[in-house]
Amino acid sequence: MANESGFSMEEFESLMATSDVELLKRAWRNEKSAPEILQFQASLVQRSREQIQLMEGTIEEITRNGFDPLIVSVYQMDMDRAQYMLRSYLRTRLQKIEKDMIHISKTDLWNRLSKEEQSFSKRCYENMKSYLDESVLSKLPSGYQSDLKQSNASEEDDMVPESNLETFVFCKSESSIGAIPLDDSADEIVDLVAGDLYVLRYKSIKPFVENGKIDLV
Amino acid sequence: MEGTEIYGRRACQLVKELACAEPGQLTRFNDDLFNQVIKECTVHYSQFYELTRKMQEEGLDVQSARNADHFGMLIHHLSLLRNKRCLMAYVHKRSEVIQNLSWKVGRVLPEEIENKLSDPEKRYFKSHSSALQSYMRGMDGLDLTVDMVPPKDPYIKVRVLDDIGVTAMGDRDTNLARHSIHFLKRSDAEHYMFQGMMEELLG
Repeated sequence: MANESGFSMEEFESLMATSDVELLKRAWRNEKSAPEILQFQASLVQRSREQIQLMEGTIEEITRNGFDPLIVSVYQMDMDRAQYMLRSYLRTRLQKIEKDMIHISKTDLWNRLSKEEQSFSKRCYENMKSYLDESVLSKLPSGYQSDLKQSNASEEDDMVPESNLETFVFCKSESSIGAIPLDDSADEIVDLVAGDLYVLRYKSIKPFVENGKIDLV
Repeated sequence: MEGTEIYGRRACQLVKELACAEPGQLTRFNDDLFNQVIKECTVHYSQFYELTRKMQEEGLDVQSARNADHFGMLIHHLSLLRNKRCLMAYVHKRSEVIQNLSWKVGRVLPEEIENKLSDPEKRYFKSHSSALQSYMRGMDGLDLTVDMVPPKDPYIKVRVLDDIGVTAMGDRDTNLARHSIHFLKRSDAEHYMFQGMMEELLG
């Protein structure tokens, strides 16, 4: 089939690998597995939403034109899956914001959020703050009422929950990356071979996930 | 506080209650124990201040003196911190369950859950779900609370649990009588399933 349309199988596959659906799948999988929030894929989300709308239109049209119901249902299934992936991607991000809202708003993770997510995060924190104030903090002695510090004696904010970057993740890379140090002292290194599956500490591969060299699975 | 009371024991009980609870489920907010821990904090604080005053009266420097009173103060301070962390853990953990509820049940809480919440928790649920709603409005009304599980098939088999009556399903009218079984588009059925008017037949 691929040959008839003038494509070789390899060309076809590489074309598929860079399609938006594939990119969305990648962004979604990375987001699902990473312990911290990743950069928001603004233009990808925008394009996916447009494509889903387009698909909705197509399905309506071919249903009206009396196409084979089987074909319609294949289209429908394709769209349902894309729709699910997009929703799940956005949902996963919001749930991460819910969990680490204070930490995110105080660090440069903040810049990874979309504008909508930033205002969601802001509202989340306001709600959480007044909830904590009402239930606990206002009832404690003065000097112990901060939601960020354990007491006024703490120099840093020592009561902010943040994600655990030491957790292990499954990962894979498409190209050979070479040796990666597994800890700060660089005593232990691992040589990442393209296409092989590894279980590593998120922290040690974090920069590669961020620049797209390593994918989480 | 009685002489034999171990500092921080009540706070520990409070946190244990969380640990023993079914994950994702709420127990009734333990007002009684919670307030006892708050009271314990106040007592620690007043004893902390009493010791400061005593040291100042004796002409000692609170920061540098290392006598029994100094360490007494330290113990009260640290016990207070520990209690605070336990209290915060208690309410924070509960807030996570509440956040989860705003994804699942929408804007109105079922009564049996609402009874288990404290007043600030009820307010928190409301404000958190409205934050979620306004995010979805900002995304041109993309509803993120549906499609929670990956779709396997666009069509599912459902049993109707309530008399819904004749409804337009796709291009024809279907009689959704109670106990009848239908093969419907997932997107059409989902809405009814959330309201408990239909159930999916698996297998």
